[in-house]
Amino acid sequence: MAGRRVLITGVGSYVGGALARRLERDPAFEYVAGLDTRTPRVSLERTELIDADIRNAVIARLIPQAGVDTVVHNQIVRRPGPGMSARAMHDINVIGSLQLLAACEKAESIRAIVIRGSAGIYGSEPHAPQFFREEMSRLFPLRTRFQRDVGEIENYFETYSRRHPGVVCTMLRYQPGIGPSLETQITRYLKLPVVPTYLGFDPRLQFVHEHDALEALVATVRNPVRGAVNVAGPGTIGLTRMVRLAGRPTLPIVPGLFDAVTGAGKRAGLVDFSDDFRRLLRHGRAVDTSRLVEEIGYQPRYTTVEAVRDYLRTEGGRRLLPALRQAVAR
Amino acid sequence: MSAPRVGERAWVPFPEAEETPAIGFLRRVREGLDAGLELPEVAARGAAALPSRARDALRRAARRLEGGYEEDDWGFDEEFVEMVFPFFEFLYQYWWRVRTKGIRHVPSHGRALLVSNHAGTLPWDATMVSFAIQREHPLPRYPRFLVLNWAFDLPFISVAMRKVGGIVASPYNALQLLEEDELVAVFPEGVKGAGKSFRERYRLQRFGRGGFVEIALRSGAPLVPVAVVGSEEIYPKLANARPLARLIGAPYFPVTATFPWLGPLGLVPLPSKWRIEFCEPIDTAGYGPQAADDRALVFELSERVRETIQEKLYENLVERGPAFA
Repeated sequence: MAGRRVLITGVGSYVGGALARRLERDPAFEYVAGLDTRTPRVSLERTELIDADIRNAVIARLIPQAGVDTVVHNQIVRRPGPGMSARAMHDINVIGSLQLLAACEKAESIRAIVIRGSAGIYGSEPHAPQFFREEMSRLFPLRTRFQRDVGEIENYFETYSRRHPGVVCTMLRYQPGIGPSLETQITRYLKLPVVPTYLGFDPRLQFVHEHDALEALVATVRNPVRGAVNVAGPGTIGLTRMVRLAGRPTLPIVPGLFDAVTGAGKRAGLVDFSDDFRRLLRHGRAVDTSRLVEEIGYQPRYTTVEAVRDYLRTEGGRRLLPALRQAVAR
Repeated sequence: MSAPRVGERAWVPFPEAEETPAIGFLRRVREGLDAGLELPEVAARGAAALPSRARDALRRAARRLEGGYEEDDWGFDEEFVEMVFPFFEFLYQYWWRVRTKGIRHVPSHGRALLVSNHAGTLPWDATMVSFAIQREHPLPRYPRFLVLNWAFDLPFISVAMRKVGGIVASPYNALQLLEEDELVAVFPEGVKGAGKSFRERYRLQRFGRGGFVEIALRSGAPLVPVAVVGSEEIYPKLANARPLARLIGAPYFPVTATFPWLGPLGLVPLPSKWRIEFCEPIDTAGYGPQAADDRALVFELSERVRETIQEKLYENLVERGPAFA
């Protein structure tokens, strides 16, 4: 039997590049292609790079040519980076997904689509179940712009998989990632000299370690299942406990003033919290990972607490109190 | 002032040999800071000068400040509960003089659903039911409480609830906890029970739609009815200030003889005499999980639990006699 042929969108991101490298070293995959306008951060040996914008209709010509059986959709922007407008983020997420699906319509070789989506679709709610299961995505209204984007993306892929019963669509719902090589909102947050929190709130948070984020994707490419699957490190960690483990002092802010204070911080260029992140800091979120373990067959190596500890080990040298004391001693 | 007589020891300020614990603590902290140690280390060194109980408390506080504590998947923090135990002990033994009966009906392992009446504006009855199990049961375990959603919108209260074992009252949560073989407590009267006026005391309110029975049937957990006498008198609610309740988004705003007139002092519960009775469990495993969809059975079981609690309430009320004597 011939090897698998895989196309990865967003190969210029950390996870996209790592996935391409992981797959090209595996002889079971005879062909790996990466689609992005950015160059990958890691050096790739046999991955064929396709320099095209996912928002552009030209991919409808390029993707069928590649003759792949699996598409990994990894280009969903969680947070606009520097120089990216909220509008551009929305375009990449929604228009990009639409163009990708249009291209998949034309490629008859496709058997599976794996989407690295977001658990953000569940939202952060005070009355939420302790662990969201996959069928609970419609319990609460979609409140933020990003949530609505993710909701739209999920709808497109659902419609597509109904129209194409021969293609298996897996919607992976990722919790925020954490790890030594990742730079995300949460790692930037933990590096702040003083960490702002909501006074009187201590949400339960859940993360996925970068190792598990990648391996869960590989496991899903090997064994795709239909529908949504949550991806997270088992268990939760309280925000207060995490910040204390990080050795950071907190700045508890009255909930009514939180937006004003962090808004001032944003103008000063210190912090930049998205709406989703602010809601996460107030109400938290946790998901149930039994589908990942039982159906995809991937057991995460790190629990949420272990993922946080592993990240903090690499950050251990930058704790504030010793640093302050050294500054005073000098 | 006369000069000290011969042979009498003169009073010497701060004798080096017997420094008080507080002074010893501060001196060691100072030395630690001068030596350039980390704060928690400094606190631990200073603690060596204190009596052992204070020392343990301080060490624990320092460790918790470093994030050295465990919370389970549901956010329950056992150490936190142990820290507030002395206060509950005081309430249980001296303030409300609680007497507990039928503790053997609480299973020592495996899933079970405690169903209790609910009264008294603030959920003190929940804390006392939990504490009764801790104190009286030969194999104590911590029950998880299904708590009114509204509490989880509130700062501080939401955190405290979570740490002592409170869970958002959703059927998903209840079912998952029971499937993990936990002991779960529900108050099916909900706000209707906690917010009723003093005139209606010891009259059980409607038991919702019987959702708790459905959950018990689906998971095969036995139902343990619990009757609590005494919580009705801790805050005799005379009226409900609806506009104020609406203003803060609360389900009710109680007006008692002391609240809100005395401010926070009005929150001190009255020292009524309490009785808690755990009744004989009602087995549900025999019906099978499909029985959860059988409306008639759900209502029948719900009514049976309600009648048991009502009966035991009257029984214990008579036995207890006057509320405050």
